[in-house]
Amino acid sequence: MSVPRARLLALMKARCELFSTTFNPEGLRTGNKVLRQRLRGPALAAYYPKKLVTLRDLQEEFAPLELIIDDEIDDDRLEHIAGLKARGKSAPKKKKGPPTNKEKKK
Amino acid sequence: MSMFRAKKLDLGCFVNVKVIRDHSKRKAFEAAEPERQALRYVIRNTTLPQRTRAIAQLQLTQMHCYTRPTQIRNRCLLGGKGRGILRDFKMSRFNFRMQALAGNIPGVKKASW
Repeated sequence: MSVPRARLLALMKARCELFSTTFNPEGLRTGNKVLRQRLRGPALAAYYPKKLVTLRDLQEEFAPLELIIDDEIDDDRLEHIAGLKARGKSAPKKKKGPPTNKEKKK
Repeated sequence: MSMFRAKKLDLGCFVNVKVIRDHSKRKAFEAAEPERQALRYVIRNTTLPQRTRAIAQLQLTQMHCYTRPTQIRNRCLLGGKGRGILRDFKMSRFNFRMQALAGNIPGVKKASW
């Protein structure tokens, strides 16, 4: 018992209407699979964690209220740099402006 | 490509220039994805005129390379390394081992039988 093609097509059409897919009996390449794909961008862009609140943000936030927060690590760093400076071992000063020809030739 | 870079650093993990670059690429891809998908649809649609499809192909190839998904590479959150990354933990294999042995990763245990 064979089913006529017209009836099969009618079934296909009804199915497409029901499930809101495109009716494409010839099987033409309409590129619909691209439209069906989900967007990957949001998932990919969320790979790296966002920046959280840092001690410095807190310091800036509470500065107008005259509440002082100690950042011990940063204080240690500044102390170390001050020590280096006192011994004349710190990093040289940054140059201002573009280099002149004389400096380039060296 | 500095125009894609965020004006203010918005990363909370290990940061080096490669991580920043990869992050910018991810952001650029996210912004351009609808456009890319539309062009891909036009290219693959055989019912459209050949000329339209060819133009779409050209437009897709001429988009900035930062908007391509193939430019994105998973990097280690702890060291910024680009190779040997375990996708589930977003960590390079060595960092994963160190964290796992230290017991910082829930549910991970060294196998022994």
